[in-house]
Amino acid sequence: MKLTIQVMVQPYTYEDLDSALKIAEAGLEKGHEVGIFLFCDSVLAINSLIKPIRADRNIPEKIKNLIAEKGLKVDICGICMDYRGINTDMIIPGAKSSGLPELAELIYKSDRFINFMA
Amino acid sequence: MALFLIKYGTDNSAEKIKLKNTNDDDVLIFIQNGVYWTINSEINNIKGKKFTLKSDFISRGYQESSSLTDLIDYSQFIDIIEENEKIIG
Amino acid sequence: MDKKILFVVYQSPVGSVWINEAFRTAFGMYGEDIEPSVLLIEEASVGLSPDTKPETLGLLPISMVHRFVKRYETSVYGVKEHCEKYGVKNIDENFSAKILNESELNGFFHSFDNVIFM
Repeated sequence: MKLTIQVMVQPYTYEDLDSALKIAEAGLEKGHEVGIFLFCDSVLAINSLIKPIRADRNIPEKIKNLIAEKGLKVDICGICMDYRGINTDMIIPGAKSSGLPELAELIYKSDRFINFMA
Repeated sequence: MALFLIKYGTDNSAEKIKLKNTNDDDVLIFIQNGVYWTINSEINNIKGKKFTLKSDFISRGYQESSSLTDLIDYSQFIDIIEENEKIIG
Repeated sequence: MDKKILFVVYQSPVGSVWINEAFRTAFGMYGEDIEPSVLLIEEASVGLSPDTKPETLGLLPISMVHRFVKRYETSVYGVKEHCEKYGVKNIDENFSAKILNESELNGFFHSFDNVIFM
């Protein structure tokens, strides 16, 4: 199964990124192809300069590890990045700046598409 | 037949609309604050097969025994997604 | 085969960006064999009114989507009971919106391959 998960709201304030990553990890562990599309404020999660306090989870690090170790695919809405001052030098390795044509392709080609409502 | 994903609690107007429009053969998964729907017996009036993400439920201070729906883990969540082509989330 | 995708917005068009983002996303779908529709419910119903103008507060105007709705002939829907609840008396003709009864939503939702609440 090819599964795409879209997230729209910001990390750390809300739980959506955390939920999406746990779903993604469970899917990858079952051998599915899993991608995450970061839209609107959720693109903040891709910033490698994020420095949470030690007691908190490091979401960009988690994404980076899932990309490198389990094959998670991550697409980021490029316009959403521009709006929020994130450039391609800041994003974690393996994540890809893309856009709505890529989202359309993901929706069309994925067997399942789930989104986290804002 | 569709899979409904419910992530907000009982005050959210969109979740209310979703839950008013389920059918008996639909599947509903309650995650995040959506779990608050599942602790009241009114949940039994909502049509569809209902599941709640166990970790989101327990983390909000509830005992497994107080769930009025079946509790699932992320692995089972994936299986349910795989079984349901149509997703309303 | 075409995929039928419904984008649903429930939050107010003044103070949140989701109507604009729903339409922007819907317009992005036309590169694939995807038939997008947009449904405005609850507080988002006021986005159907020609008198709703976020730009008076310096926010992004809704009217910017009108020409693309026309160009792509994107199907736009509202809900009668929700328009009444929020005092929407006139529907902006630029949307050519179809107004559903709340009782029709069940069948309407289930007629799409994916329903994406924004």
